[in-house]
Amino acid sequence: MYTSITIKAGSGGWGGPLTLVPTEQKHKVVSVTGGGIHPVAQKIAEMTGGEAVDGFTTGVPDEEILLAVVDCGGTARCGVYPKKKIFTANVLPVGKTGPLAQFITEDLYVSAVDESCLSFADAAAVDKISTESAVGAPKTKEQAKREIAAMNQGKEKNLVTRLGIAIGGVVNKFYAAGRETVDITIKSIIPFMAFVSMILGIISASGIGNVIANTISPIASTLPGMLVISLVCAIPFISPVLGPGAVIAQVVGTLLGAQIGMGNIPPQYALPALFAINAQVGADFVPVGLSLGEADPETIELGVPAVLYSRVITGPAAVLIAYAASIGLY
Amino acid sequence: MEFIAGLANGFMELFKAGAATFAGWVTGIIPLVVIMMTAVSSVIKMIGEERVNRVAQRATENIITRYTVLPVLAVMFLGNPMSYTFGRFVKQKYKPAFYDANVSFLHPVTGLFPHANGGELFVYMGIAAGITALGLPLGDLAVRYFLVGLVVILLRGIVTEKIYFYMCAKDGKKLD
Repeated sequence: MYTSITIKAGSGGWGGPLTLVPTEQKHKVVSVTGGGIHPVAQKIAEMTGGEAVDGFTTGVPDEEILLAVVDCGGTARCGVYPKKKIFTANVLPVGKTGPLAQFITEDLYVSAVDESCLSFADAAAVDKISTESAVGAPKTKEQAKREIAAMNQGKEKNLVTRLGIAIGGVVNKFYAAGRETVDITIKSIIPFMAFVSMILGIISASGIGNVIANTISPIASTLPGMLVISLVCAIPFISPVLGPGAVIAQVVGTLLGAQIGMGNIPPQYALPALFAINAQVGADFVPVGLSLGEADPETIELGVPAVLYSRVITGPAAVLIAYAASIGLY
Repeated sequence: MEFIAGLANGFMELFKAGAATFAGWVTGIIPLVVIMMTAVSSVIKMIGEERVNRVAQRATENIITRYTVLPVLAVMFLGNPMSYTFGRFVKQKYKPAFYDANVSFLHPVTGLFPHANGGELFVYMGIAAGITALGLPLGDLAVRYFLVGLVVILLRGIVTEKIYFYMCAKDGKKLD
């Protein structure tokens, strides 16, 4: 027996409330949070009578997913499931942001969710959902095509019109490119700059910078030191934790950059360092990335550990290749 | 009183260094990145996804292009995170390896083509800032990062493919 519940946004959160109506076919709560099933996912599964699944170890077909629980800081994961029209609850207070922001809508997505945000749905809300889904069946592709064809009929275009349309199309593409660029600058690049320059400022003004210069710089300026860094980043149970949003790689990259700028690390080490600090790239994202590539659940099940194990070899190997390639650089 | 004023000054100093860094980045990095990203995205929009899809389909056929040409096209044309959808072009048994190659190229690409992963520029730019601070040119680093990236994704593709095949064989799962 399944029970419907309502999830509202927590403090600082966005979106929702979502009313979940689990059914026989659609009752799985997928936790894509790294480090096992998130307590919120567990609680939702208990309340609905559904099943909580760890998205990292088990693949679930999209049509069985009642809700995806994510802990995305705003880069990618929070948009992936809404894009597939799957209900998404983010445990972090992240709103409509990231490259997939356009798909994050209030009727699919809710954030800053903790256990206090969950409640049993009242009957009215459930009724509304079930009637809506019955009435709001989307137009089929065929229908839509026919309608468009009908609209375009009897409109013979002359040369000037066609030229105008072509130029308009190109200009629109430039404009869209500009808009996307500014979007990503404001939503991703500038916030990151703000937070990292704050950290860097505090580090340099407080004297922690000297500690880093004396401890980490010597490690990062030798080949064995960088191999160790890459190996640590690639350990299969550490790499998924280090991955999200490449935040750690970006912060470490900036710290190392500052040390290179001060002359504590030789500049040609920049190239191998780029690979050493990033051996974990995407390790947090394997199941989601695979399902975006239309991988079957069985492929995801063995595919995730395959990628993680592979990194233990290819992480340090990448550092070696980059080290060899850095000869003659600067 | 002087003591408190001294404290306040010290407190402000903590943030002034950060403010200077921030101002440097906003004026030094953002204008160029914005123009580059706009230019490359426009070109990519004009080429169109369909043409790219045709090339991508061909690139799946052999092991070398599958883990070099295919991920590069995916990352350049779709960027993070939509590049993963190019996984649909390869067979199930190659998907984990393609994922690995694809995701591992998301940062090496940013030195030359920041549009592909605008949200995660600072893996490269953080380190590159140090090179700039020394007054050295960045071009060489960006090109080498890109090329080494190509070699690394090929290696990751092949190694992950082998490991995945091995794990499937051990598990008694048949590959298709």
